[in-house]
Amino acid sequence: MRYRIRHTTTYQYLEPVAVSHNVVHLAPRDSATQRCLRHELTVSPGPAVSHERRDYFGNRVGSFTVQDHHRELVVRATSEVEMRTLAAPDAAATPAWEEVRDHLRAGTTPGGFLPLGPEEFLHDSPLVPTAVELAAYAAPSFTPGRPLLAAAIDLNHRIHADFAYASGATSVTTTLAEVLERRVGVCQDFAQVLIGCMRSLGLPAVYVSGYLETVPPPGVERLVGADASHAWAAVHCPGVAGTHGDGWVHLDPTNDCLPAERHITVAIGRDFSDVSPIKGMILGGGAHRVAVAVDVIPMAGR
Amino acid sequence: MASGPLLPVDRPKDGDDPGRCMDAVQHDQSDGAPSQPPSGPGAPLPPLPPLTTMPPPAQQPPPNLPSQHQHQHPQQQYQHQHPQQHPQPQPQAHLQSQQRMHPLSPPSGTAAKLLDGYAPPEGWDELRDAQGELRPHWRGLTGELERLGPAALAGRWEHALRLIRENGVTYNVYGDPQGLDRPWQLDAIPEVIPAREWEGVALGLAQRAHLLDLILADCYGPQRLLREGLLPPAAVFAHPGFLRACHELRVPGGHRLHLYGADLVRGGDGRWRALADRAQAPSGAGYALENRIVLSRALPEAYRECRVQRLASFFVGLRETLVRLAPRNRDNPRIVLLTPGPYNETYFEHAYLARYLGYTLVEGGDLTVRDDCVFLKTLGGLHPVDVVLRRLDDDFCDPLELRNDSTLGVAGLVQAARAGNVAIVNALGSGLAQNPAWMPLLPRLCRHLLGEDLRLESVPSWWCGLDVATTLSHVAANLEHLVIKPISGAGAAGEPVFGNQLSSAAKTALLARIAARPFAYIAQEQVRLSTTPVWTGGGFSPRPMTLRAFAVATRDAYAVMPGALTRIAAAPGARATESRQPQIVSMQRGGGSKDTWVLADGPVPHVTLLRPVGAPVELKRGGIDLPSRVADNLYWLGRYGERAEDTARLLRAGVLRLADDPGSLAGREFGALVRALRQTGHLPAEDEDDDEQDIGARFLALIHDPALPCGLPATLRGLHRAAFAVRDRLSNDTWRIVNHLDQQLGRRAPGAQLGDDLVLLNRVVVELAALAAMGMENTTRGPGWRFLDIGRRLERALFTCDLLRALIADGADHVDAGLEVALDVADSAITYRSRYLTTLQTAPVLDLLLTDATNPRAVAFQLAAIAEHVAALPRAADRALPSTEERLAFGMVARLRLADPQTLAIGEGANVRLATFIDGLANDLGTLSDTIARVYLSHLVSNPAPAATPPAGPGGGEV
Repeated sequence: MRYRIRHTTTYQYLEPVAVSHNVVHLAPRDSATQRCLRHELTVSPGPAVSHERRDYFGNRVGSFTVQDHHRELVVRATSEVEMRTLAAPDAAATPAWEEVRDHLRAGTTPGGFLPLGPEEFLHDSPLVPTAVELAAYAAPSFTPGRPLLAAAIDLNHRIHADFAYASGATSVTTTLAEVLERRVGVCQDFAQVLIGCMRSLGLPAVYVSGYLETVPPPGVERLVGADASHAWAAVHCPGVAGTHGDGWVHLDPTNDCLPAERHITVAIGRDFSDVSPIKGMILGGGAHRVAVAVDVIPMAGR
Repeated sequence: MASGPLLPVDRPKDGDDPGRCMDAVQHDQSDGAPSQPPSGPGAPLPPLPPLTTMPPPAQQPPPNLPSQHQHQHPQQQYQHQHPQQHPQPQPQAHLQSQQRMHPLSPPSGTAAKLLDGYAPPEGWDELRDAQGELRPHWRGLTGELERLGPAALAGRWEHALRLIRENGVTYNVYGDPQGLDRPWQLDAIPEVIPAREWEGVALGLAQRAHLLDLILADCYGPQRLLREGLLPPAAVFAHPGFLRACHELRVPGGHRLHLYGADLVRGGDGRWRALADRAQAPSGAGYALENRIVLSRALPEAYRECRVQRLASFFVGLRETLVRLAPRNRDNPRIVLLTPGPYNETYFEHAYLARYLGYTLVEGGDLTVRDDCVFLKTLGGLHPVDVVLRRLDDDFCDPLELRNDSTLGVAGLVQAARAGNVAIVNALGSGLAQNPAWMPLLPRLCRHLLGEDLRLESVPSWWCGLDVATTLSHVAANLEHLVIKPISGAGAAGEPVFGNQLSSAAKTALLARIAARPFAYIAQEQVRLSTTPVWTGGGFSPRPMTLRAFAVATRDAYAVMPGALTRIAAAPGARATESRQPQIVSMQRGGGSKDTWVLADGPVPHVTLLRPVGAPVELKRGGIDLPSRVADNLYWLGRYGERAEDTARLLRAGVLRLADDPGSLAGREFGALVRALRQTGHLPAEDEDDDEQDIGARFLALIHDPALPCGLPATLRGLHRAAFAVRDRLSNDTWRIVNHLDQQLGRRAPGAQLGDDLVLLNRVVVELAALAAMGMENTTRGPGWRFLDIGRRLERALFTCDLLRALIADGADHVDAGLEVALDVADSAITYRSRYLTTLQTAPVLDLLLTDATNPRAVAFQLAAIAEHVAALPRAADRALPSTEERLAFGMVARLRLADPQTLAIGEGANVRLATFIDGLANDLGTLSDTIARVYLSHLVSNPAPAATPPAGPGGGEV
């Protein structure tokens, strides 16, 4: 399956902005099941400096600085991605979750440490601190001896069932503890709840930022710009190929599903703070407005 | 975003402050951390008059601005004076100086008392050995002190302590209302370490620094140690100091750790061991230097006699290193010292080191990144910065790529470093090396990386994340003798815990917490600290001590400071295990410090950062790089100085009248004063219920009550705060006046008489006059001085307008009383009488106070000065048409020149004309103040860009 993705972010400011520094994670990663065929980033007004590099997690990260006074900043990313799907993992075949935890803790994971291996995603991160409350919430899914993936899929399902989706219910400053207590949030919150639960049990989990192709109800035409950036999580399961062939099985608690070819991965990190699609610091600006439009368009043919 | 020079003190947040850099022993690992300045607009503003222009509610000492030249106070440059100017002590000179200074020194022997009562507890004592004998390397010092005698030593020390107070050597203690600006605690007796012993320590420190630097290089590079299993993953990934954004960040010179500090303790066996490593922005080197200067002046004979190694060589090494690291302009790089600001606990040290090393002291808001390069924002424009010596913790340094909840840093700094355009010392990410989990791993890593044994061992430590099962059972079995520390001071894991302080239930709970997240804790043996003598005022008494030692990376090795900062516990109790009291040596907890004398084997070479006499010096005038933030603070310093003086004069006028005649509460002149105080906002607007006694009490409260926002104490506090923010720009004399002013007001003593108030107010007025004179006579005429003076002139013009409005325009029924008071408060009575003898009339008074441009108290005089200043400000230079501020100032000057005092004073409707005229002036003065603030001072502040793409998920979409 091939998609064209257009992701446009428009900032409008009441007062002129003198300098705007930005870091963006907008270019889809490559993996065994996903290939980024084309990616283009345009910024208006034109930046004085811009770079692209790989960040610590292997994501393509762009950075640019706009140094001309401006009242509007438009960041447009256009990508084409080819997706394929691996066979769904056999959850029952994964090892018992305690076994995975104990190996990681003792440093006896078969194969030893590899860069970006599970050891990197075990610990507290800026937005996802581990907590006994998270472990307690996860406990009913992680019964003794249960295969890791089976337990994680159950947790994924429970989060979907227990938490209400409400856009605007949370903000950048809402803490994970608040989300857990209020049981409401958006995809980013649900992904982080799942990640926090796993890590609080001593198990690794990754934050995934990406896109999801949405399909309008039958007979309704797709609205332009109606899609959004999306977020989900991934858990490391020894013994299975994983969603991208790297041992990480992706889980989408917002939609209670295992992502496959309609989930396009842009970037992975420990939590949202590592892979925020756009973050910036401006000098000046005053009050502002942001508008985001995302289109994930299936491309005809092959 | 608030916080600024004008804020009343607001404690820095303690909660998420990883700071506490001076808090050490058996204690947390963080260092050099920022304390967030009071954030949010919560801090009340030193309110002032409902004048048109108030000090703006706590502006973040602003960033960004245009401007021009730096003004340098000639006297402010720090002189590192060695009491001894020659490499070799000259016995002759020595004798003479001793005789000159102490003709009455008692013969040795009589003072042997100094050591008599000294009874160290069990364990290692620095002064006496196990048999109670004086250790040989202390003989020189104790001999000199005995010759001096306790009385003379006490006298010298009192003098030294006074200097410390007057010079404002301070240390901020968080969470203590009196904590900001607390005098530095220094002991009269230095710690003494023999040359041979220090050589060993220095070799160990240099090796340890080198080793940590290599481990950092691997973690932020290829991560081979992780792959090869020499460094367990959790020793890196579980530590918040591992900054992913800094992975593969280019580091000039190849080092990440340029400046290294270690807390050393000496156990019962006499060996020095490392208790903690300080790797991001080690504090204390500047305090060590200050201690040395105080001690070498207080005890010059002993200092010479003992052949103490000089500290300056260390700082010379640091300066050379920083120059070498500059990516460009290596012949004359611009180096800045980045501080979190005056609310940080060691701010004094930042300012002190900046002056000593000759660097510009900057806050995050002073810097900006353009084109991937770092610039200093000055009145004269942007100046490229080559090297940043940071005292800000690394995660606070860049809100864009590191912690985004901090405004202390510089957006884009990481990218500038990545592009290789700026050197940051220590490199961003070096805080990882403070991870105490590494301590037990170091011996093995040292053999692997350096092929050597680790010379300077750590205090026995166990990282619970290593061999978890074995370690946990060891910890459980020995908890009584262990200190449990979280690997990161900032984390959820909490404070260090002393095993022997816990109930058995608490022990069980602690062990369970450790078992749940073993990698987050280390256990460290509780060390019985060695003791060293402190001066009690009459003799010596033992106190537990620790040492903070420093090393700086030179071209091919680490050079160790031949000295250290010795820190001593607040309380004597060294018998840790017996008393069950933890030994905490911490500046935050009231501990003290000592100079540390590392003795030389031979002659001491003379090193100084001052240029040798005769070396050609490039002549300079008024630097062009005055940071805009400094200009802002100088402006408010000027305003507060004047405001305090005006307030004191008003109050003094009132007290004088009350003292003359207690019945004058109802008198006309006192009534006029009350009107003036209402106009200026010192007293609330008129209230029908006010009775005379109320007014009297409120009036006196303005002199004493620090809680009254417009009162004299609060205003002097504001003055102190503004001065504090530019502490590094003020001469010691200026600072001494500011300090003294701040210290003398408080609650009125119960039995105080009006006469006492009068004495106090007289003193305040005189000291404020001295402060104003320092501004006029001791400040070079650069832009900094202009802003100081604009502040003062604006404030005085506004105040005089208020006086005239309240006393003359609104005072028609008792004109004489109003005129009398106006002349008195404006200090112009003498001039008036010399011109007009005794006839008191409105028109001449108006002329004198409003339109006479030759009277330094007249509004016209202030405006003439302001007009000259604004015309000279950098922006005005390259512009064809006058700027807004010039138009306003010239407009007012013209209006005052054309004004006819007779018309404003006499005839039908004169009061209304006068009121209108004054209100027009006051209004324009307000606009002028706002304009200057907008154009030069308050500026664009960095803001987080709007929460980028809101991570809204396709909740509804069908999958």
